[in-house]
Amino acid sequence: MAIIETFGLSRHFGKTAAVEDLTLKVEAGEVLGFLGPNGAGKTTTIRMLAGMIAPTTGYAIVVGYRTDRDVEKLHEVVGMLTETPGFYNRLSAKRNLEYFASFYSSIGLPSKQVEKYLRLIGLWERCNDKVGTFSKGMKHRLALVRALVHEPKVLFLDEPTAGLDPEAAAEVREMIHRLGQEGHTIFLSTHNLNEAEMLCNRIAVLHTRLLALDTPEQLRRRFFHRQLMVQLEVPDTHVVQTVEKLPFVQEVREEGSQLILELTDSERNRPELVKVIVEAGGRVIAVSEKQYPLEEVYLRLVHEESGNES
Amino acid sequence: MSRRHIQNILLKEWALLFTDLNSALTVTLVPLLIVGQGILYIWLAVSFGGESMLTTSVFQSALQKLVEAIPGVTQLPGKEQLLVLLLNQFNFFLLLIPTMIAINVATFSIVDEKLSGSLEALLATPVKTWELLLGKALAGAIPALVMTWLSAGVFLLVVLGLGWGDLSGFVVTAGWFLTLFLLTPAVAILSFMLGVTGSSRAKDARGAQTIVLIIILPVLALIGLQITGILWFTPSLILVLALAIGIADFISLRAAVRLFRRESIVVQWR
Repeated sequence: MAIIETFGLSRHFGKTAAVEDLTLKVEAGEVLGFLGPNGAGKTTTIRMLAGMIAPTTGYAIVVGYRTDRDVEKLHEVVGMLTETPGFYNRLSAKRNLEYFASFYSSIGLPSKQVEKYLRLIGLWERCNDKVGTFSKGMKHRLALVRALVHEPKVLFLDEPTAGLDPEAAAEVREMIHRLGQEGHTIFLSTHNLNEAEMLCNRIAVLHTRLLALDTPEQLRRRFFHRQLMVQLEVPDTHVVQTVEKLPFVQEVREEGSQLILELTDSERNRPELVKVIVEAGGRVIAVSEKQYPLEEVYLRLVHEESGNES
Repeated sequence: MSRRHIQNILLKEWALLFTDLNSALTVTLVPLLIVGQGILYIWLAVSFGGESMLTTSVFQSALQKLVEAIPGVTQLPGKEQLLVLLLNQFNFFLLLIPTMIAINVATFSIVDEKLSGSLEALLATPVKTWELLLGKALAGAIPALVMTWLSAGVFLLVVLGLGWGDLSGFVVTAGWFLTLFLLTPAVAILSFMLGVTGSSRAKDARGAQTIVLIIILPVLALIGLQITGILWFTPSLILVLALAIGIADFISLRAAVRLFRRESIVVQWR
């Protein structure tokens, strides 16, 4: 069941189109990565979906609510982590979270809920410390709790690890991963492709318009054929010549002691291929699928779009 | 729900207000300075100006209005008549307390949140614009009012301390109570609504402060009108004035909500 659905969603600022004709569906429990270069409209899309700004044309339905009409009801059921999460630095972490939590009708006792989440992110011991004394990473984790404290049905995360040091970013990523595992629907905007691949079921690439929306694997296949990598102990020309003759081998390339192959059916042909290599005297160290970095897919998509524009 | 939301905003704002030395000093010191200044001026006028001041045309006119409002004043000697005249200006002088506090506190209320980034997170909650604005305005107006009432109490104690207690019957009148408990709250809310509205529209607190200055001019005009004898604020006139400002409070809240641009705040302040 789609928990987020957009229909030709567009937003213009003056004559500039920030988002154009965006139509997509996100299923409940899905973690969707939202990628795009700076100014691609990622934050604008999140803001429209979270009911913070209205679309110029088109509309979106999130958790059954029109984002431009049922704003207050929508805010009860979605959580949002903004790119630059601000707090009241002179107040404690607990007081800050209780304040934000107290606006949700679904929360009976804000203090209980806040305690639960502060313990979850390991900040309970510092709950009475002023937020002004917290590191950037701690503030980001706190902001994530702020977005989560009312247990929203959809969580919008705008660049949750931007500007964090590797350790803090890993902590935040770990928390998002856990939330994804628990079945939260997460809409994650990020520049970090590894992060997107690590955390997301599907990835949408936006450059004002939606360029692609698919699983990381399917996006790869769109540009790169499925290739098998066979790591041999030493380079062996005889093995290459033997393999080339196999009917299911469409292409073979030698890169040092590695063979890169394109097979008719990668799964089914694999055992036969290994058998032939071994029989031809090749000593196989490893067989794996060649993984093109998502970055290459992303760059191709974005450059293709830039080429179309020019 | 709205009551709970406004209460949350009030409590948070007060927690912030009293953990900030500048704001806390503004709320506590401004009233003291205004009361101190007022009493000093009256004392100087009575001690050094004396009855001769009453011979000026301005004071003659004011005294005539005072006598019309409080006929018993004619029984008093000239110097005490002057004192009663001056002491009766004091309740209007107290109106400066909420306006001055509003300039220093309300004008930062939204600008600060825009700059820190907490406002976007707040606007992502189910809080309504009018709840946010009213909560912020009341969070400043309530302490300002309490301080005004305390200042009125301090003023009366000083009046007794200076040996002017016999005259209190001519000062603590129905008009005094109406000014303190009807007019002052109405002015306080208006000042803070203007401050919060200015804060929501301005790029910095200075811009917002200019807007609140608008309210100080009419307050000064009230004092000027009475001290020069152009107009004497009788209880019925104060009642009408308080009612008019009460309506202005309501209009200012509606205007503030209309002027509050959620989208601009979200898009331009990040």
